[in-house]
Amino acid sequence: MAQLDNIIHQPVRLQIMSSLISLDQNEQVNFTYLRKLLKLTDGNLGAHLSKLEQAGYVKIDKTFVARKPQTFISATGKGRDAFAGHVAALKEIIQSEQG
Amino acid sequence: MNVSQEEAKESLSAVRDATVRTQRAIASAYANPLLILWGMLWIIAYTTTHFYLSYAFHIFTAMAMVGGVGTAVICLVFHSKGPVQETSGPRLGWRIAVFWILLCVYIPIWLFLLAPFSGLQCNAFICTASMFAYVVMGLWFDSRFMIVLGLALTAATLIGFYILRDIYCLWMAIVGGGTILGTGLYIRSKWR
Repeated sequence: MAQLDNIIHQPVRLQIMSSLISLDQNEQVNFTYLRKLLKLTDGNLGAHLSKLEQAGYVKIDKTFVARKPQTFISATGKGRDAFAGHVAALKEIIQSEQG
Repeated sequence: MNVSQEEAKESLSAVRDATVRTQRAIASAYANPLLILWGMLWIIAYTTTHFYLSYAFHIFTAMAMVGGVGTAVICLVFHSKGPVQETSGPRLGWRIAVFWILLCVYIPIWLFLLAPFSGLQCNAFICTASMFAYVVMGLWFDSRFMIVLGLALTAATLIGFYILRDIYCLWMAIVGGGTILGTGLYIRSKWR
């Protein structure tokens, strides 16, 4: 039976993980772009990303692009597994109550 | 953790929304400049050809060159400054580029093998071969939109070739170029 994940279940973190899972495994997304896409503030996105990073679910990569500092975020393998498990658990809840 | 059925449904709905929004936003960022560029080029090239048929070869050569350079510039800009970047592993962008370069090599080979043919046949062949590539791209990226666009423009080309020969170029400018440009503008406004 799949397990719900306390860290991912929080609505903002669920959105963040859903967006990151949409990318290929070898892709990472720009912090500013993700913030605009999810309509979050810098502080809000940063705080939730820290939680996800502490859990090992996302990787935050600070680098320079055209001499400007940029932050890129990607989902880790552990994060992808946890997200898949969480979604499977949500589906099981719906199915169990329907059945 | 206790989660009710309603809460589970809302969470799954939020997952779907965020996933679709992300995929569309990223597709929009990459696809819309290319579609707008090629839509405009189609409209200009076919409209000009309708009025100056004897210059068709020069017009389409110029279109292919401008389109090729424009596509390369857009891809290079997004590769270095786009919202999504590759970290490691197989370089998908290069495989896509190689696919289109190979198509540009194979089309003249096929034309050489199929000769002799009329200008109209040549044009319809290049259009349908390019649209076949759109469908392949759609299958590759699981993009229904690319598949539908490729199939719709293939149908438009065949209608123009078999039914509307006298106004083939105008038809291709309005329906073909218009569809590509319209699709680019639509996803630019709706998928961001």
